[in-house]
Amino acid sequence: MKALMSLGALIGVAGLLLLGGMTFDVVPSNTVRLVEGYMPIQLLLEVACFVIGFTGLSYMASAMGMALPRFWQGIGFWIFLMVYLKYRVYPPIPFSVRAMYGTVGLVTVFMWVSANEEDWNKFKQPIMNVLDAQTGMNRLLRYVYLVLIPILVGGFSFNAMMPKSEEPIELRTVHPAPPASTKVHGKTYTLQTSQNPYRVNPEGKYDQEFSNANIVEQGMGRLMKPNANPWDEKNQGYLKYVREGGEIFFQNCHFCHGDNLNGRGLHAFAFNPIPANFTDPGTIAQLQETFIFWRVSKGGIGLPNEGFPWASVMPPWEQHLTVDEIWKVVLFEYWHTGYYPRTWD
Amino acid sequence: MMDSMTQKAGIIAAAAFGVVLVSSAGYSPVLAQGLPEGFKKGDLAPEPSAEMIEAGKRVYFTKCVWCHGVDGAGDGPGADRLWPRPRNFNQGTFKIRHTASGELPLFDAKKPTPGQNDLFETVTHGLPGSAMPPWEGILSEEQRQQVLSFVTTQLVKDRKFTDKESESQTVLQLADLKPKPATDESKKRGGELIVEKKCVECHGMEGRGDGNAFNLKDDWGFSIQPANWHKCWNFRGSRQDPYNVSNIFRTFSTGVNGTPMPSFADNTSVDERWDIANFVNSLCERDTLGNPLPIDPLTDKPKINFVIPSDMVEGEIPADLEHEAWKKAPKRYVAMGGQITHKPRNFVNRLDDIWVRSLYNDKHIVYLIEWDDRTKSVAEGKLPWAPTQVNIDIKEQDPKTGEEGSIAAQQNNYAVYNDAIGIETAVKWKELPAPIKPRYLFGTNEQYPMDIVKWEADGSLRAFKGTGWDKDFEERDNYEEAMKLLKAEWKNGRWYVMIQRPVGNKKDQDYDEDTFFEVGQYIPTVFFAWDGHNGDAGRKMAVSAFYYTFMNPPVPQETYIYPVVIAVGVVLLEGWVLTRRSNRKKGKTL
Repeated sequence: MKALMSLGALIGVAGLLLLGGMTFDVVPSNTVRLVEGYMPIQLLLEVACFVIGFTGLSYMASAMGMALPRFWQGIGFWIFLMVYLKYRVYPPIPFSVRAMYGTVGLVTVFMWVSANEEDWNKFKQPIMNVLDAQTGMNRLLRYVYLVLIPILVGGFSFNAMMPKSEEPIELRTVHPAPPASTKVHGKTYTLQTSQNPYRVNPEGKYDQEFSNANIVEQGMGRLMKPNANPWDEKNQGYLKYVREGGEIFFQNCHFCHGDNLNGRGLHAFAFNPIPANFTDPGTIAQLQETFIFWRVSKGGIGLPNEGFPWASVMPPWEQHLTVDEIWKVVLFEYWHTGYYPRTWD
Repeated sequence: MMDSMTQKAGIIAAAAFGVVLVSSAGYSPVLAQGLPEGFKKGDLAPEPSAEMIEAGKRVYFTKCVWCHGVDGAGDGPGADRLWPRPRNFNQGTFKIRHTASGELPLFDAKKPTPGQNDLFETVTHGLPGSAMPPWEGILSEEQRQQVLSFVTTQLVKDRKFTDKESESQTVLQLADLKPKPATDESKKRGGELIVEKKCVECHGMEGRGDGNAFNLKDDWGFSIQPANWHKCWNFRGSRQDPYNVSNIFRTFSTGVNGTPMPSFADNTSVDERWDIANFVNSLCERDTLGNPLPIDPLTDKPKINFVIPSDMVEGEIPADLEHEAWKKAPKRYVAMGGQITHKPRNFVNRLDDIWVRSLYNDKHIVYLIEWDDRTKSVAEGKLPWAPTQVNIDIKEQDPKTGEEGSIAAQQNNYAVYNDAIGIETAVKWKELPAPIKPRYLFGTNEQYPMDIVKWEADGSLRAFKGTGWDKDFEERDNYEEAMKLLKAEWKNGRWYVMIQRPVGNKKDQDYDEDTFFEVGQYIPTVFFAWDGHNGDAGRKMAVSAFYYTFMNPPVPQETYIYPVVIAVGVVLLEGWVLTRRSNRKKGKTL
């Protein structure tokens, strides 16, 4: 038990040192890098490490007779929480959300320290000691607090009242409701009934099963199925069109949506809203193929107001591509991400 | 003076180019006279297993083939619209290495160790500033090694990574060389050395890559630009760690194969190289305190703040860059992407950021815009279209042209137009319910127009009204007379342009076509930039996202009064708590 706990304590100390070092730039802030795609699981693992660390630390401290008073445990935990949320979690959490987490954290800490009468007394004892000022140290502390608290409160309110400029928060609907039909190059397409004319088997028949069997495999890397190389000259039907769609994608779309269709293209850094990440399960995987056809054809300028048509740089592709080319690109995007388009039934 | 500089630079570059050509033909001049300082002899890595190669083929044909092509000749479907073009693997010429000039890079299919596997690091971190993305987090470590096994054995055709007869490895021992502290003295010596070693002849007097922007070609015959030392996040070899001085040291020690950038290992000592690296590193953009800019890990570019604050000044707004007010004014990084929404799309924008500062007084607001442009471009003669014309005859790059017609081959062969900068602000922005704005590209329609102010390198400063991406601009009544160009100067690869315009009032300006600036309000602002030597004109340009101009209000008096009142209140509260506690205690003990 002791060995286990000391290991925990070691993890805790190492973790705290590392986090503190990265926060205050003592060690480079990318010492433990967050890798795109693994961030949530990385953060969960980290938090688990800290839980183990804290358990170990408090056990070791009490075993050595240096147990930290409940009062400081509570405060320390809350400070750790705030620092972690502010400096570690990426992308950054807005202040309002952090304030909410902070409040919840504070309530939790209070519930923990006031679970029973005895704990509560232990918790408030240090506060009472300072108020009563029976010892020299406490007296000194009392005067320090007397001066410090008004100064801090005054300073914070001054800071809060100084005029500031922060980017206004604007909420955009990423997938607005589609129209019933859309007219592209003079032909009307009903979204409910239209089909991708290139989702066909080698005999040229519309065949969802065939195409779904030939998309890339899910899992690390999302690689093509070993016997389904779109660059194979002998391909007929689906895979041939995937390749043609890929060629169009890499002549037109990758500049924003990126070589891996993750929205990290060459120009992406300059734009806001950022280009869609097709590998995210929340984009094309949630949508019908005809919805994508409508979005690609009409582009940003064709969005309803809740989609911010004024800010999107997505081209209305009907200005650049033929209907056939658009269908092929859509085909390629589903192939390359390994997702199936949603269907109406 | 300038002419002779350029001429000299041309000769040097040609000579350097020659050296690289010879060395890449398999002859390594370094070895003849023993090893340069900081290098050690290394061994060739063993050949990767057949399974690795086969597995790598699958990765290659899923991810890489689209740009690098079926035979690895850098001629995939995406290649003709890219500059720099995707690497042609066939010659075995790789740029970012730890090995001596002309040698193959380090690659060991069994060792994905940083510092010992150049190709693995390139695939992992990508090549910033080019279309090659970082593959970390997308491909597993093993998959990255597999695809490299395929590329180095099957697609590198002119050389062989395992051939002891023709290949050697002379490896820079970067892990053993401790960086020299970046003291003022070291940087000063570095600053002298870059002149002595003639770095400035290509990289420019201020290191903005403007020294010899026209004459440099790579091994494949395409135009290539010297690096701009002020944008370290665009260094190809930055390994997603742009302010790390070791990367500069490495590039300087090994040179960049296939380009005019030679290795300086033979004519500089390790100590001198650290001085140079420290100096070059110190030039990269930093904040006002001299700290590195925060880099966004999602884009590997500086983090963006979409608010452009404007500070108030009393009296005239100074036109002098060195003035205290400008030095204090916050400087904002504005990211620029190619205009790729409507024809003619700008796939290669040579301007990828601008820096904006702003000041205002009771009558005017001034924008100070600075941006790096390697070439000062002014069109010769009269332009074939009117200033208001938006739909002009500029062709966009065809998707499939072959190498000769590709966008890379077009570089420096464009008809030269004017460098230009545009500030576009929403008209009647106050009437629009947030977040609605006129469309970023020249407004939505007559109802939601944009106020466009455009400066061109021929010295003109014009004001237009934009009513849609394909509508020609409309002239504005008397706004041009009310504006003033305080400064427009190109120096050592950087433009400094200062534009003064009225904040707007109903008496002198037209509410229906001019933007009225108001203190404490967020005014939607978009920036455009044109590089004349890139053939930019009309819609072929670089654009930013929506930013906000925000005129900082003067601090109201209450800001100073209320906090004091609150503090006094807290003191009273403290007194109350203390008295209560001590009364209670007394009561208890009694």
